[in-house]
Amino acid sequence: MLKNYFKIFLKVAAQNKLFTFLSLFGISLTIMFVMIFSMTLSKITSGSGPENDLKQIIFCQRVKTAETHNGKRWGNGYSVASVGKKFSEDYLKKVKSADLISMYTGPSPWEFIFNGNYQKKLQNQTDAEYWKVFNYEFLEGRPYTAEEVTNGANLAVISQSLKELLFGNEKSVLGKTIHYTSMNLIVTGVVTDPPKPDQNAIGDLYFPYTLLKGYDFDDYIGNYKVAFKSRGKKFDMIRNEVQAIVSRADAADTTRAIFLSGPFTQMEKMMVGYGDPEDYSIGLSIFKYLMMALAFILLPAVNLMSLNFARIHERGEEIAVRKSFGAASGILRGQFLFENILMTISGGILGIILSYVVVGLLGNSLSMSFGFWNNVPFSFSFDFKVFAVALTACLIFGLMSGFLPAVRLSRMKPAAYLKGGEI
Amino acid sequence: MIKLENISKVYRTKEIETLALDNINCDVSEGEFVSVMGPSGCGKSTLLNIIGLLDEPDEGKIALNKELIMSYEDKKTAKMRNQLVGFIFQSFHLIKELNVYDNVELPLIYRKMPASERKQRVTEALEKVGLTNRMQHYPSQLSGGQCQRTAIARAIAGEPKIILADEPTGNLDSKIGHEVVDILAGLNDNGTTIVMVTHDEAIAKSTHRIVRLFDGRLVG
Ligand SMILES: Nc1ncnc2c1ncn2[C@@H]1O[C@H](COP(=O)(O)OP(=O)(O)O)[C@@H](O)[C@H]1O
Ligand SMILES: [Mg+2]
Repeated sequence: MLKNYFKIFLKVAAQNKLFTFLSLFGISLTIMFVMIFSMTLSKITSGSGPENDLKQIIFCQRVKTAETHNGKRWGNGYSVASVGKKFSEDYLKKVKSADLISMYTGPSPWEFIFNGNYQKKLQNQTDAEYWKVFNYEFLEGRPYTAEEVTNGANLAVISQSLKELLFGNEKSVLGKTIHYTSMNLIVTGVVTDPPKPDQNAIGDLYFPYTLLKGYDFDDYIGNYKVAFKSRGKKFDMIRNEVQAIVSRADAADTTRAIFLSGPFTQMEKMMVGYGDPEDYSIGLSIFKYLMMALAFILLPAVNLMSLNFARIHERGEEIAVRKSFGAASGILRGQFLFENILMTISGGILGIILSYVVVGLLGNSLSMSFGFWNNVPFSFSFDFKVFAVALTACLIFGLMSGFLPAVRLSRMKPAAYLKGGEI
Repeated sequence: MIKLENISKVYRTKEIETLALDNINCDVSEGEFVSVMGPSGCGKSTLLNIIGLLDEPDEGKIALNKELIMSYEDKKTAKMRNQLVGFIFQSFHLIKELNVYDNVELPLIYRKMPASERKQRVTEALEKVGLTNRMQHYPSQLSGGQCQRTAIARAIAGEPKIILADEPTGNLDSKIGHEVVDILAGLNDNGTTIVMVTHDEAIAKSTHRIVRLFDGRLVG
């Protein structure tokens, strides 16, 4: 039976070349975008360079506090931002179920004039554990130690590209001085530049966070992120411990209600984005993004659906004949959906090939960024999940564009197409 | 084998209402070969479509193989068409995207039947119409007579008890037409009940009985 349908599919596709071209064109472009998006996303969430252990790391990055009075919310005022210094040091870094915990400000812009030219680089203020949570490749020197961080030593680790900018092709730059705002930092290490898809560990200048006062807003809110590394991926244990700490702090503080979402994996972190830490829901975020993805497929699917409707009458005789010889409506719907899914999957395979061609030719000159993402160039990925996403998209595409035409087609009255009498 | 009782069928379009069949009563017994004759537009095709459960009458009852049709539920009528009836049309209505073999196999793919049995049945049907050497041909590569022989093979592949043929010779020259009728007569000799619409008096006379329709009514 499927062989019969498959033959029909090939013949119909070959007979109606314009229709086939239009269908395949729409599907393959859509799937191409789906592929490029999911390949880039897969690249980001699987981690590379210093983030090569990304799958073992979860992050806290946003805290919300609201004023309370006698345990009740006081007005509508609230504040949301990154985690405070004190809260990170005294509470989050004490979580026992994580193997390693690092606090750091994360890549932040650093703008300066060098040799008369405007430069834009990234700086990151970190603790010593940072160098163990993330695996940088040191070209020379070493990271600063825990003791040096505690003592506020004027040390800096710099990226290879910053080294080349400031010192040209000097062989070693250890011990040289770098000016950051009003501070003089001594270079203690040079690291390879992290690859672009890294969302957490990119940067050019790293120095001990103790060198700056930071700008804690209150006891909980400030400008830090906290990363928990667990080799055994005991994320739930860490989450429970963190949330228990937050509850305790919340209970102890009569003037504030405290909310902290997560800690989240990289994927969850991107999905929650700037969501309210008091009222976040991963499920809702997933739903939101699924809806967006569906909406993205909807337009070309409606397009294919109208093409399908337009050519239903071409199939009238065949449908009538099949009905005469015993095909029930459900069987005919199945046949049409099968053909339509074959079409969308063919388009999908074309789209997958296209996506590799586009990323191969233009990957470095095109990039993606939104929400919590840093700018990321289009990337390759041969992750099977990416193919699963593309194939699922094809299936949904095929069902969406094929269902209604299939219903109409299966309801056609055969008698009208079987005029056997007079000419 | 076929029993029609007070069958009426009205076609309604926006402008006109056509009474295509008007209170038809008719019995065809098992093994009979009946010709239906009448001028163009008198309701012959409508009658065959109603017997073949492709169309629903507005009034009246119909029984096939001693089973009274109570409802026209899609799955049920599809199954009865599949098991009981084989259609042959004036303009063949072969599926042009499929070759002779696949066309003949059509009624069998809607049955639960092992592939080997399907193959055997298709080959047998093609042997009966003398087309075993054209299995891989497509309808566009066949002559009119070969197309109609393919259509007959398709109609008999499922070994139905009833064959409904709507002017099977209408598109063929008289020599080929007679060959087609000979094949049908052979099937009838083996017990198949046949209802055939024809304009050809000579052909009609060679069958057991002639039923004449005029303006939707049985006459004579
Ligand atoms: N689908 C239809 N809609 C409206 N009128 C129809 C339809 N099919 C047939 N008719 C009308 O019903 C009458 C009988 O048609 P038909 O059974 O095809 O006649 P015959 O086969 O004897 O030439 C004709 O007047 C025809 O115009
Ligand atoms: Mg007719």
